[in-house]
Amino acid sequence: MSNYPKPDAATLVKIYEKMELIRQNDERAHKVVKAGRIIMPYYSPRGQEVIPSAISVSLTAQDYICTIYRGTHDMLAKGVPLKLLWAELAGRVTGTCKGKGGPMHITHPETGVMVTTGVVGSSMPIANGLAWASQLSGDGRVTIANFGDGAANIGAFHESLNMAALWKLPVIFVCQNNRYAEHTTFANSTAVERIGDRAASYGMPGITIDGNDPDVMYGAAKIAIDRARAGEGPTLIEAMTYRFNGHLLGDDGHYMDKEERQRAIAADPVARLRKRLIDEGALSEADAVRIETDISAQLDEAIEFALQSEYPALDEIRRDVFAHELA
Amino acid sequence: MAYEIILPKIGFSMNEAVFSEWLVADGGTVKEGDPLYAIESDKSTQEIESPASGTLRINAEPGTTYQVGDILGTID
Ligand SMILES: Cc1ncc(C[n+]2csc(CCOP(=O)(O)OP(=O)(O)O)c2C)c(N)n1
Ligand SMILES: [Mg+2]
Repeated sequence: MSNYPKPDAATLVKIYEKMELIRQNDERAHKVVKAGRIIMPYYSPRGQEVIPSAISVSLTAQDYICTIYRGTHDMLAKGVPLKLLWAELAGRVTGTCKGKGGPMHITHPETGVMVTTGVVGSSMPIANGLAWASQLSGDGRVTIANFGDGAANIGAFHESLNMAALWKLPVIFVCQNNRYAEHTTFANSTAVERIGDRAASYGMPGITIDGNDPDVMYGAAKIAIDRARAGEGPTLIEAMTYRFNGHLLGDDGHYMDKEERQRAIAADPVARLRKRLIDEGALSEADAVRIETDISAQLDEAIEFALQSEYPALDEIRRDVFAHELA
Repeated sequence: MAYEIILPKIGFSMNEAVFSEWLVADGGTVKEGDPLYAIESDKSTQEIESPASGTLRINAEPGTTYQVGDILGTID
C-alpha cells in the first residue's frame, strides 16, 4: 500500500468537505425524525464517511454508483442535490423520485446515483448491468457497487463477481464492512477473515483495507477506477469501517460491543481528518468553520424546501411504473 | 410562534407509544438537544431530546398511549 497514489492537500480538503456534509446531514436526519417532522426509516452511515468521499474525488459526474438503504453518504459524496434529496426523504413531489421512492429508493441519474436498494445483495447485479451497458456503448463510465458485509454472503455477490471478471466489466465492488448486519456480527456470519480474499475465486484483484484512512481509501479506489476505465476489469475492495449507531434510527445498538464501539467513536474519522488538515496547514481553523457553517446553511435551506413541498397527488401513484402508461 | 412537540416514529414498526414522563416540568425552560421526555414503545424506553429552545407547555400525560404524529406539548 506504500506504492498507492496519495491524495494531495487540495484533494484531502475536498474529501473532508464531503465527510463533513455527510456528518451534518446525519445529525439533521436524527433531529428531524426525532422531532416528528419527517417519518422515515433511517439507516445512519455515521462512521463510514471516508469510503465514498475518498472514492468519489476520482469519479466524474457521469460515472455511476449503486447504493443501499444505508446510502446517504454514498449519494452525498457523489453530489446528489441536497434539496432534492431531502424532498425525497420527506416523500414530497419535489424529490428525486417525485416523492414516490422515499429514503430507501433515492435515484438521481443526473449525478450518477442510479439505484438505492433495500434488497440486500442487489446492488451488485444492477451495477453489472450498468457497467455492461457502458462496455457495449464505450461511454467510458465506471460503476461503483456499494454493499455491506452481510450482503457479501448473498448468492448475488458470487454470481456478480464471477460475471464481472469474466466479461472484464468496468465495475468496482466496494464492500463497506461495518462489522454488523442488523444485529449479527461479521464474525458470527462469515467463515473467512477477509472478504477481500474472495476475489481470488473469481480471478480479479481483491484487497482489504482500512476504509477509515483517507489516504489508503483514496489510493485503492484510484487504482481500481483507473483499471476499470482502461478496460482491465473489476476489483473487489473490502473497506473496513464501523457503524457508530444501531442498525436504524430507534435501535440503540445495545447488542454491540461497548468498548469496541467507544473506541471507534473516539477515533471519529471526520474529526481526525479535520485535525490533521489543520495540523498540516492544509486548512485554517477559520476555513474549517466556514465550511461547517456553509454546510449548515445549505442543510437549513434543503430541509425547509422539503417540508414546504407538497406530497404527490394520489393519481401519481401508478405513473412512472411502466414506460408506457397503462390505461 | 409555538413549536409543536410531535410524537415521532422511531423504529420500523412503531405506530404508537406509551408516554412515560416529562423530564422537564410544565413552564420550565428547555434547550434544544437536551432530554425532554421519555416514551415506551416496542418494550423499550427511549428519551427524546427537545426539538427547540424555549418555555415548555405540557399536554401529554404519563401512562397514556399516543399515536405517531400526536402533539405532546409545545415550546414557546
Ligand atoms: C434479501 C434480503 N434479505 C434480508 C433483508 C433484511 N436485512 C435488511 S438490512 C440487513 C443487514 C445487511 O447488512 P450489511 O449487508 O452488512 O449492510 P449494513 O446494513 O451493515 O450497511 C438485512 C439482513 C433484506 N432487506 N433483503
Ligand atoms: Mg454491515
